[in-house]
Amino acid sequence: MRATLELYWQAFSAALQAKFEYRVDFFLGVVTSCMLQSAALAFLFVVFHQTPALGGWSPEQVVLLFGVAATTLGVSELFFNHIWMVPYYVVMGELDRLLTYPVRSLPFLLVTRPELHAFGNLTMGLALSIGALYKLQAPWFAWVLLPMLVLCGGIVYTGALVIFGSLSFKFLGPTAMHLMIPHSLLQATRYPLGIYPGWFQYSLMILVPYGAFNYLPAGFLLGKALSPWLMLAAPTAAVVFLFAAQKTWDWGLSKYESTGS
Amino acid sequence: MRDLQPQLTPLESLRSYTSLFLRSAKAGFAYQASTFTEILTAAFIYAVPMLVWRQVYAQDPTGMPLSKEHMFPYLLLACCVNYSLSMGVEFRLGNRIRSGLIATDLLKPVDFQVSQGVICISDSVFHALLGLSVFFCGFLFLGPAVFPASASSFLMFLASFALAFLIQYGICFIFVQGAFYTYSGYGIFAARGALHQTFSGLSAPLAFYPPFLKSAGDWLPFQHAIHTPVSIYMGWAEGAQALHLLGQQAIWAVGLYFLGKLLLVGSLKQLEVQGG
Repeated sequence: MRATLELYWQAFSAALQAKFEYRVDFFLGVVTSCMLQSAALAFLFVVFHQTPALGGWSPEQVVLLFGVAATTLGVSELFFNHIWMVPYYVVMGELDRLLTYPVRSLPFLLVTRPELHAFGNLTMGLALSIGALYKLQAPWFAWVLLPMLVLCGGIVYTGALVIFGSLSFKFLGPTAMHLMIPHSLLQATRYPLGIYPGWFQYSLMILVPYGAFNYLPAGFLLGKALSPWLMLAAPTAAVVFLFAAQKTWDWGLSKYESTGS
Repeated sequence: MRDLQPQLTPLESLRSYTSLFLRSAKAGFAYQASTFTEILTAAFIYAVPMLVWRQVYAQDPTGMPLSKEHMFPYLLLACCVNYSLSMGVEFRLGNRIRSGLIATDLLKPVDFQVSQGVICISDSVFHALLGLSVFFCGFLFLGPAVFPASASSFLMFLASFALAFLIQYGICFIFVQGAFYTYSGYGIFAARGALHQTFSGLSAPLAFYPPFLKSAGDWLPFQHAIHTPVSIYMGWAEGAQALHLLGQQAIWAVGLYFLGKLLLVGSLKQLEVQGG
């Protein structure tokens, strides 16, 4: 087990070092991902220019949701980003090489393409989360739980991407547009889920449970009369999605046909 | 490289561009499953700001710069216009530059900037057709409020939309020059996307913007891609005011075209394509 983890770590480090060779790209990636987050923040700014609260959540509280969503995205982009290339690999038959390696294909694939713009999302997300917790004078356990929530968020989000990405084996296409569905659902958790229609709220809490690591724990931590048991929702969702992602990936691989010569 | 190209007559050029347009359009319609997921994704992306505004109006509709009856048709129209202006030029050209396939594009006996624009027209037509289905769904919810204010507003909207396309393409073409200098396609796409998202008026009419954000946007072309055509459609700008806006759009479109042309010269000078 330890040797396997070391192997994944080495693969990740080597891929990250290769990416760091492109210094301009690193700088551009960080700047532009910060710009994208700022653009979304600008919308929040426009909204709060018109109203003092959104669904009972103050600007600082919404910024906390925003920060957790951005950090989660950053974690997934840094450690598990390669899933975005799967639709292309399936069409081009480029998965063959991966399948010959003596490793589990899914975790090895995920860790071998870190994205440099992840650092921008991580920096921005952490800055916003920490700033919001400080401004809200959050209790000590909120600070302790934040890394756990973000890690669980990264796993749930990546799991959702893998599930959608595995559909690429069945429905061939050159683009990763279907992966944009879990991605855009993550962006929806920047705002309190209570503002959405019931079916959409339940979708984001049960079907694609992003609310489990963002809205529900934040609601409890910010004293919104939610049960402390909801803190278990994030690790539970992470475990379920890890399992579901692996199963869906295995199903997808069973449908994989190479392209031939 | 340029000297080797045969000179085409205007009629031959037109035929080449038409053929390019038709082939690109066919490619757009080739992957139905991909198209379906694209619409679904766009629906999620556009629904979120609408739901946020729905909540804001539900809390306290008084004192808002626009009534609810104007706000939601605006947002629907903004989404449709934005979707219709979707063009994959950044990723397409970025990939071709990185893979070296750009060399084959440059060897074609047609103007590079115009030919890429023609491919973008096919992207735009494809997305506009899909956008019409979104517009129809919006009509079912919002009723006749989604129709243009008058016949003249609609005619001027068509002109404004055409200019908005030129502006959007002009901006994309300028940003795509970055792909000649870096390996990252994402950075280029994200930078333009962030500015577009902030200043175009996609998620809220400019009347909702805080003054400093609005003033900053006045110096940039992004609002002329979304806010200007939609304002004309809604009848917020009519007569001389609408013509004035069309004039501003035309100036931006021409300026961006020539800036793109100028930047391309510099980019091509430092382009290296590996052979073998």
